[in-house]
Amino acid sequence: MTAQRDKESDNPTCYHLRLFVAGDEPNSRQAKETLNRLCEAYLKDHYTLEIVDVLEDYRAALENQILVAPTLIIAAPPPPITIIGSLSDTRRVLNALGLPASEEGL
Amino acid sequence: MKEQKPTYEELEARLAQAEETLRAIRSGSIDAIVGDQGMLIMRAKAAEDALRETQKTLEAVVETAPILIVMTDSRGRIVLFNRACEELTGYSRQEVLGKTIPELFLSPEWVPIVAERFADPFNPALQELHINPWITKTGEERLIEWRCKALPMPRGTGYFVLGTGLDITERKRAEEEREKLEAQLRQAQKMEAVGRLAGGVAHDFNNMLTTILGYADLALREVSPESPLHDDLLEIVKAAQRSADLTRQLLAFARRQTVNPIVLDLNDAVSGLLKMLRRLIGEDIDLIWMPGHDLWPVKIDPSQVDQLLANLAVNARDAITGVGKITIETHNVVLDEAYCVDHVDFLPGEYVMLAVSDTGVGMSKEVLEHLFEPFFTTKEVGKGTGLGLATVYGIVKQNDGFINVYSEPGQGTTFKIYLPRSEAQSVEIPAEKTAEPLWGGRETVLIVEDEKAILDIGERVLEGLGYTVLVARSPNEAIRLAEEHVGDIHLLITDVVMPEMNGRDLAEQLTSIRPGIKCLYMSGYTANVIAQRGVLNEGVCFIQKPFSAMSLAVKVREALEQAS
Ligand SMILES: Nc1ncnc2c1ncn2[C@@H]1O[C@H](COP(=O)(O)OP(=O)(O)O)[C@@H](O)[C@H]1O
Ligand SMILES: [Mg+2]
Repeated sequence: MTAQRDKESDNPTCYHLRLFVAGDEPNSRQAKETLNRLCEAYLKDHYTLEIVDVLEDYRAALENQILVAPTLIIAAPPPPITIIGSLSDTRRVLNALGLPASEEGL
Repeated sequence: MKEQKPTYEELEARLAQAEETLRAIRSGSIDAIVGDQGMLIMRAKAAEDALRETQKTLEAVVETAPILIVMTDSRGRIVLFNRACEELTGYSRQEVLGKTIPELFLSPEWVPIVAERFADPFNPALQELHINPWITKTGEERLIEWRCKALPMPRGTGYFVLGTGLDITERKRAEEEREKLEAQLRQAQKMEAVGRLAGGVAHDFNNMLTTILGYADLALREVSPESPLHDDLLEIVKAAQRSADLTRQLLAFARRQTVNPIVLDLNDAVSGLLKMLRRLIGEDIDLIWMPGHDLWPVKIDPSQVDQLLANLAVNARDAITGVGKITIETHNVVLDEAYCVDHVDFLPGEYVMLAVSDTGVGMSKEVLEHLFEPFFTTKEVGKGTGLGLATVYGIVKQNDGFINVYSEPGQGTTFKIYLPRSEAQSVEIPAEKTAEPLWGGRETVLIVEDEKAILDIGERVLEGLGYTVLVARSPNEAIRLAEEHVGDIHLLITDVVMPEMNGRDLAEQLTSIRPGIKCLYMSGYTANVIAQRGVLNEGVCFIQKPFSAMSLAVKVREALEQAS
C-alpha cells in the first residue's frame, strides 16, 4: 500500500512528522512515547515532529482528513503515509520511515 | 484541501486507510474518533475494557467474599446482596432486591432499634462494629456483627448504605459454652476446697464431742435421776448429740463419712422410706412415688439413701406453702458424650436416676449458685442449717454420682441424682439390728488412741463395764504392751489414723504377737488404707466418733462376739 523507499537514500533526508493525539489518553500517550523514542534513535536532528491534540484543535484533524486519534502522518518525504493506532507495531513504523527494522535498540 | 474527483488510486488508498482505521478501532488502539460535526467521541476501547475489568474484579470480590455484603438505597431498598448473604439467609437475590431489611430479616423487637441506629445514615458510629441479628428464611436467628457506611450518590442528594457483616453466632455460642464450663469448674473446685475445710473442722470437733458425750454419760451414771443435776447432764448429752449430727453432715459433705455400701435396688430402698418421708412432709403435701421399671442395681450405703431423700424431701416441704406435691421418681438413664460435654463433671455411662421434684417456690439464679455450699441457707435462723444439700452433694460425690438442679422462681424445683449402675446383683437390705445391749464383760481390752481425752474416756467407760483395760497413746506403745502383758488380750480398739502407723498395720502386727485378737476401729473419718475413700472392708468392726458410752459398749460386745 505504500511505496518502498530506497534504503540508501535516507541519510540527508529531512522527515516531517505530524502526530494527531487525543489528549493524554492511553493510546495517544503510547504513540507519543514510541514515536519520540524512534525519532531519537534513528532520525536524530533530521526530523521535525508536530503533535496535534484533536481535543483542543479538531479542525486541524478535519483538514487533514483525520478520522481517529492517534494517527501519524509522515508528511515528508513524499508520498505522505498514514499510520493509525498506538504505534505499538514499531517494525511497521520503521518500515514506513524507510529504515531497517532492527530488533535491538528500541 | 480542494475538492477534486479522486483517482482510482486515491480511492483505493482511502479504502485501505478506512480499513486500517476500522482494524485500529476494533483492536482498541485508538482513543478518539473525529466526527463530522467536529465532535470528538468515544474513549479508547482499551481504557473501557480496563475499567470493565476493574469492575469485574470488584464484583468478583463482593461475590466470593465470605463476609456479608449488602447495600440499600436511600429508601432502604436492597440493591446489592452477595452470595454470602444468600447462603446465610436462604433467600435468593431475586427474592430480596427492592425489598427492605426490616421486612425481610429483622425480628419485631429489633425493628425500632435498627431504625433509630440508621436515623442518620452518615453517623460515623455506624462504622463501628455493632451487632444486630438477622432471621433467616427458615426462621433461625443468626447473630451478625456489622460495619456500615453511607455512600453519597455522585449526583443529587441520594445515598447508598453499604453494610458488611460477619456471622458470629458460632463464636458467641462457643464463648458462652466456655464461660458456662468455666463457671461449673470453679464451682466444683470451690466445693472441693470448702469440703476439705469442713471435713477438717468436723474431725477435730468430733473428737471433742466424743469427750463431752463420754464424760456426760459417765457423770449421768453417778447421779441419781432425782437430782436436778441429772436433767442438766441430760441437756448436755442432747446438745452434744445434736452437734454430732451436724458434724456427721459436714463429714458427709466432705466425703469422709464412713460407709458400708451394698448393692441394692433403689426402688426397694425408696419404698422402705416412704412412710418416714410422709411423716416428714405432713398432710397438706401429696407425696407421689413413681418407681422406674427394671431398675439397675446401685452400690450405696442404705443409710445414705435415707439422708439423700430426707434432705431433699425436707427442702421440698419447706419450699411449698400450703398445698402442693412432691414427686419421687427413679429411672435408668444412659448419659452420652454429648450430654457430658455440657456438664463439666459428668461422665458418660449407665446410671440410675433418682429425682425429687416439688411444686414449691423455686429458686433464683443467685440461690442456685450457692445451693450446695455448706451453711448456705435462705431460711431464718434456727430453721435452716445450710447443711442439707451440702450433705446430699457429698454423698452423691462419694458414690461417684452426679447431681443436677432445675429450678426457676415460681416454677418449682427438680433435683436429679445420678448413681452409677452396679455390675453386681442387688442383695436384700439387712434389717436393722436392734441389738439388746449386752452390758459389760470380763475380757481384756487394749485401747490405742493418740487423743488423750478420748483415751481417758474410753478407759473409764470400759472399766466401768467390767473390762480390764490397757491403754496406749501410740502404736509402738501398744506393741510393747502386747508383748509384755501377762494374760490374754481379747480386743484391740484402735484409732484408724495415727502418726506412727495406721490402725490396720497395728492390728496386723498385734495379730502376729497375739493370734486371735479381735479388732474394733474407731475414727471420725477414714482416709487411709483400711477405708479407701471412706469404704471399710466388709466384716470390719468400726465405731464412728463421736460415740456415746452406750454405743461403745454395744460395739465392743459386737466385736468380741464376732467369729474370728
Ligand atoms: N426444693 C427447694 N426449693 C426451693 N429452694 C430450695 C430447695 N431446696 C433447697 N433450696 C434452697 O437451698 C438452700 C440450702 O438448702 P440446704 O442446704 O438444705 O439448707 P437449709 O435447708 O438448711 O436451708 C435453702 O435455704 C433454700 O433456699
Ligand atoms: Mg435443707
